[in-house]
Amino acid sequence: GVAPLGPVPLVKDHLYQLTMLDAAYQHLPHPSDSERLRHYLPRCPFPTPSYYYQLPPPHADSVDFFTRLSTETLFFIFYYMEGTKAQYLAAKALKKQSWRFHTKYMMWFQRHEEPKTITEDFEQGTYLFFDYEKWGQRKKEGFTFEYRYLEDRDLN
Amino acid sequence: SAYSSMLQSGINQAKEFDDPPGLHEKTENLLIEWVNMYHSPQAGRDRTKAFFSFVQYMHQQGILKTDDLISRFFRLCTEMCVDLCYRALVEQNQSPTLIRAKCFHTLDAFVRLIALLVKHSGDSGNTVTKINLLNKILGIITGVLMQDHEVRGTEFQQLPYHRLFIMLFIELNAPEPILESINMQVLIAFCSVFMFLRPAKAPGFAYAWLELLSHRVFIGRLLALTPQQRGWGMYAQLLINLFRFLSPFLRNAELQKPTHLLYKGTLRVLLVLLHDFPEFLCDYYYAFCDVVPPNCIQMRNLILSAFPRKMRLPDPFTANLKVDSLPDITVEPRILPNYVQMIQPASFKKDLDSYLQTRAPITFLSELRSSLQQNPEPNSHLHYNIPLINALVLYVGTQAISSIQAKGQVTSMGTIAPSSHVDIFQYLAVNLDTEGRYLVLTAIANQLRYPNSHTHYFSCCMLYLFAQANNEQIQEQITRVLLERVIVNRPHPWGLLITFIEMIKNPTYKFWNHEFVHCAPEVEKMMEGVAQSCLHTTRE
Repeated sequence: GVAPLGPVPLVKDHLYQLTMLDAAYQHLPHPSDSERLRHYLPRCPFPTPSYYYQLPPPHADSVDFFTRLSTETLFFIFYYMEGTKAQYLAAKALKKQSWRFHTKYMMWFQRHEEPKTITEDFEQGTYLFFDYEKWGQRKKEGFTFEYRYLEDRDLN
Repeated sequence: SAYSSMLQSGINQAKEFDDPPGLHEKTENLLIEWVNMYHSPQAGRDRTKAFFSFVQYMHQQGILKTDDLISRFFRLCTEMCVDLCYRALVEQNQSPTLIRAKCFHTLDAFVRLIALLVKHSGDSGNTVTKINLLNKILGIITGVLMQDHEVRGTEFQQLPYHRLFIMLFIELNAPEPILESINMQVLIAFCSVFMFLRPAKAPGFAYAWLELLSHRVFIGRLLALTPQQRGWGMYAQLLINLFRFLSPFLRNAELQKPTHLLYKGTLRVLLVLLHDFPEFLCDYYYAFCDVVPPNCIQMRNLILSAFPRKMRLPDPFTANLKVDSLPDITVEPRILPNYVQMIQPASFKKDLDSYLQTRAPITFLSELRSSLQQNPEPNSHLHYNIPLINALVLYVGTQAISSIQAKGQVTSMGTIAPSSHVDIFQYLAVNLDTEGRYLVLTAIANQLRYPNSHTHYFSCCMLYLFAQANNEQIQEQITRVLLERVIVNRPHPWGLLITFIEMIKNPTYKFWNHEFVHCAPEVEKMMEGVAQSCLHTTRE
């Protein structure tokens, strides 16, 4: 570096500032300090080799990208990244693929075939659902999906 | 204002430790109770259900009886949260993730309590009560921070305060009608706090402070979402404090790792601003250049390269570019802080105006040097009053432009001289020592930005000084000031490139005949390189 006007000696205040800054440098803010607590996937920064991807692909935060992910990935994002934009996009992508969220069971359901019965208040038939405890898709025959438990907010 | 006095009283109350007996225990129990309620599944979606029963409980415990007790309650809660963080952070056998989760568990609950209290204090339409309470609490947290910073010294931890401030800011900027109605006052409150906690005052908090300043929600609110650019002035003030803090370290070009990291962060913020809010940098460039040390070329280039997004800049490398015929070249740029006030003392300003009018007395010029040398800061080791030089140069230039326009003329090499204005620039160029001349030329070069009337005038002025110079030393220094801004990495201000290209291209300046161009083989080589990239041609 150049100092065209010549060096100017630091005064006492500056030296104090440097000392305090030096101390603060030993415990810098962490990325998680200014974001909502992540219960399942906390940030763990780690030096990774430069020949590994350091950044996600561009436009990885679009609905388009999410619709290309497997349903299992979308379920993972939905249950393990609560309250994030990713969770919102995952829910959107699942809805696009005709999955419906059951607010009582907190699970996603998809019609396996046309329901046997459809009334004002419910429909009944065979459904696929994703069991987040067993972590896998299951089939349920003769299931009654009550519409009052249907999450039908418009995600736009 | 009344709000800032609430902030100040909060800061002062952070030092009142003579609590009534039993209050500490009561507060501790209440805080533990709230943290549990906050994390219980029955708390309700945004914890409002838990909140209303908790307020009942606070009533029963007599905390809400007087303002003094309320203040003490918040002070004690803040101290307890901070203590908890310090205890967690020294635990050796815990993973950093767990330690942070532990801290956030309590801090986040406390933040929500504050946000809910602010939102629900007074009637729904009563904004004064809410804002008073917010300022009081922010003041208390600030006071506790300053106390902690002073007492713990190098053991000070930024984490709890950083988390409290940013989470509270985000909560209070949620899209809710009650919060929208107090948004401007919320922004003012936080800006006042950040101003109070500037790095010069709380250097141990500097990194968290820069994180707060550059947080996307904070920048978004202050620069994009608040109507009529009402947040711009406050944000500019915060940046000025950052530049001012860095200035003595940058000036000496000796950056240790900690200062270097802060400098890198500053460059990043500037890059974001240049990309997303160029008009903001355009408006405040003057105030920023006043505090950025003269040797910080890239930092200044970032600021000076900003131009209004709707403007299309002609490529400076175009052959036969006619600068005079650009439509924007007569438009005056907006400069927000009143730089004319920087021309002090009043008697000097009076003499200056009188000289500009009458071109007399000639003694005004000979006294100019000593006027610029009077330094307001004793022992600052700088020989010149840089803010005064900057203000003088810009003021004389704008006066020159008005006088040219008043005569019905357009700015050009032919119309800027003879005049009292150019007299001043020429006098300074010839009669100041190397340091003074460097500062004057730097002040001129700071005006070489996007196409506008100032850029045009000062470009002509710089070239005129070069052409009329009575010795090579002046020309060498003009070349130096322009060249040192061109050889650094991009971005380069448009007006700077225009001026530099004109100087080396136009044969009237006989640029290549000067000795300093050939003073050393490496300098000559560098000049050729720059000429090649500027002109896209090799010189014969």
